Amino acid sequence: MTSSSLLGTPNPTAIGFFLAFVSLTLGITWWAARHTRTTEDFFAAGRRITGRQNGFALAGDYMSAASFLGIAGLVSTSGFDGLIYSTGWLVGWPVVLFLIAEPLRNLGRYTFTDVVTFRLRQRPVRIAAAIGALAVVSLYLIAQMVGAGNLIKLMFGLSYETAIIIVGAVMLAYVLFGGMIATTWVQIVKAALLLGGAALLAVLVLAKFGFNPLRLFSAAADRYGAGVLAPGKLISSPWEAVSLGLALMFGTAGLPHILMRFYTVPDARAARLSVFWATGLIGCFYLLTFVLGFGAMVLVGHDAIVAVDKGGNMAAPLLAEVLGGKALLGFIAAVAFATILAVVAGLTLSGAAALSHDLWVSVVRKGTAPHDEQLKVARVASVILGVLAVTLGLMFKGQNVAFMVGLAFALAASGNFPALLLSIYWQRFTTAGAVAAIVTGTVTAAVLIFLSPTVQIDILHHEHAWFPLKNPALVSMPLAFCVAIVVSILAPEPEASAGYAAKERRMILGEA
Amino acid sequence: MIVVYFGFVLLVAFDKPLLGTLIAPGLSFGVLLGALVIVVAWILTWYYVRWANSHLDRRVSEIRAEGS
Repeated sequence: MTSSSLLGTPNPTAIGFFLAFVSLTLGITWWAARHTRTTEDFFAAGRRITGRQNGFALAGDYMSAASFLGIAGLVSTSGFDGLIYSTGWLVGWPVVLFLIAEPLRNLGRYTFTDVVTFRLRQRPVRIAAAIGALAVVSLYLIAQMVGAGNLIKLMFGLSYETAIIIVGAVMLAYVLFGGMIATTWVQIVKAALLLGGAALLAVLVLAKFGFNPLRLFSAAADRYGAGVLAPGKLISSPWEAVSLGLALMFGTAGLPHILMRFYTVPDARAARLSVFWATGLIGCFYLLTFVLGFGAMVLVGHDAIVAVDKGGNMAAPLLAEVLGGKALLGFIAAVAFATILAVVAGLTLSGAAALSHDLWVSVVRKGTAPHDEQLKVARVASVILGVLAVTLGLMFKGQNVAFMVGLAFALAASGNFPALLLSIYWQRFTTAGAVAAIVTGTVTAAVLIFLSPTVQIDILHHEHAWFPLKNPALVSMPLAFCVAIVVSILAPEPEASAGYAAKERRMILGEA
Repeated sequence: MIVVYFGFVLLVAFDKPLLGTLIAPGLSFGVLLGALVIVVAWILTWYYVRWANSHLDRRVSEIRAEGS
């Protein structure tokens, strides 16, 4: 650790900002709890969120600490390569808008599984899709919790275990008492804070370069060579780049916690508008992280960033310290903490929906559970997910989990996305086809990740990896589509095809 | 959108020197393209929302009127 940095020592400003954020959000939760009476309130905020509010909440749900600290860090240490991630994470949104958002809103109630099962047999598809959703949610939770523990340890000087338990407890308070209403507002506040914080930092950086980004880039190139403005060593083979691109682009359209947000708006028109806002906000944010990354590269310096954290994750906080001293560092640290809380709350809620709505109410009780039982089960499921999140966080302490977000995107793109897309747009899609698609996509992606260089060489220290690519989407996603199509054609299901017209009508017209 | 992004990714994959070309001091072709990908995403979503709000919603209400 560099002697000049205050990172890792308890910082009163950071703790003050953080306590302010927690009090504000718990106040919101208290207010939301009084408005949470039905399952629809709990999982879908009573469908009263407006398009613009949902756009902010989607941005808050999506922009994780990994993208704020991770991308700024990646850009600050390797330059251009970080841009591949930031654009990849954004371009999934138009895909969601054109293909998924409106049908999803019109066809489902609480989870994306509602859409997949719309005209198929309930039980087999529910079970498969809920397990697919839970796999993605768990992996994403591990990545967020372990990241949270490490970050908070670095920034506040708290122990790893304390950090994990604080995150778990506060997040569970939001979800358990305030449900989707509280989660939505936490995400909105967090999105505003994160964008505000990033914009403030970017303005301070650009002020040092005469408000001309080109002078900033030139300064970076002068210091570290023109290579920082060109693709570098991160993406080693062409196929690797394409595979990563596939996972980032279509993974967004298969993330359960993102898809779930579309049920919080009243109609398809609002769903459409919310993607417009989300794309705008997330795009701005990624442009800002690019300035932050190059700013940290020039103003903090590559060596100082890597000295604090090998992965470069502390680039943005270090930059804040250089630009605005202890106060700004404290503010940015609190923003990063808030970011983690909002994402983890969204994940927990979507996992709870898969457990209670898909598995308990639809499979075990066959859709006949009374309302108060549904709400009770939803709350029990949230507690289970919360405890699971803390346990996973503690279990994976010290593990390198950077690849897990990539894995979650690959699983979402290969397991959830093909089944969802085919169920919406292909008349001859069958129950067996849907189950086959989810199982093939999820299992192939998981096995290929296990055989990839990331696990075999970096973690298990074997000499060779059986599968050459770090990201499996290039193989697993097309394979899931092929299996789904072949199985559906070989064993047609007339009832499912007959339901297509009704689905089409509801998809376009909504419930009315 | 798919075409734009994969065009960008394929350039990253197969033609690294081109993206490294400086077209102005401090501005490489790759950085400019990356920023443009984000701008194109904005334009596409904006255009779609405009089209859907005027066009699609009118058709939907027509169909609703016929149905009832």
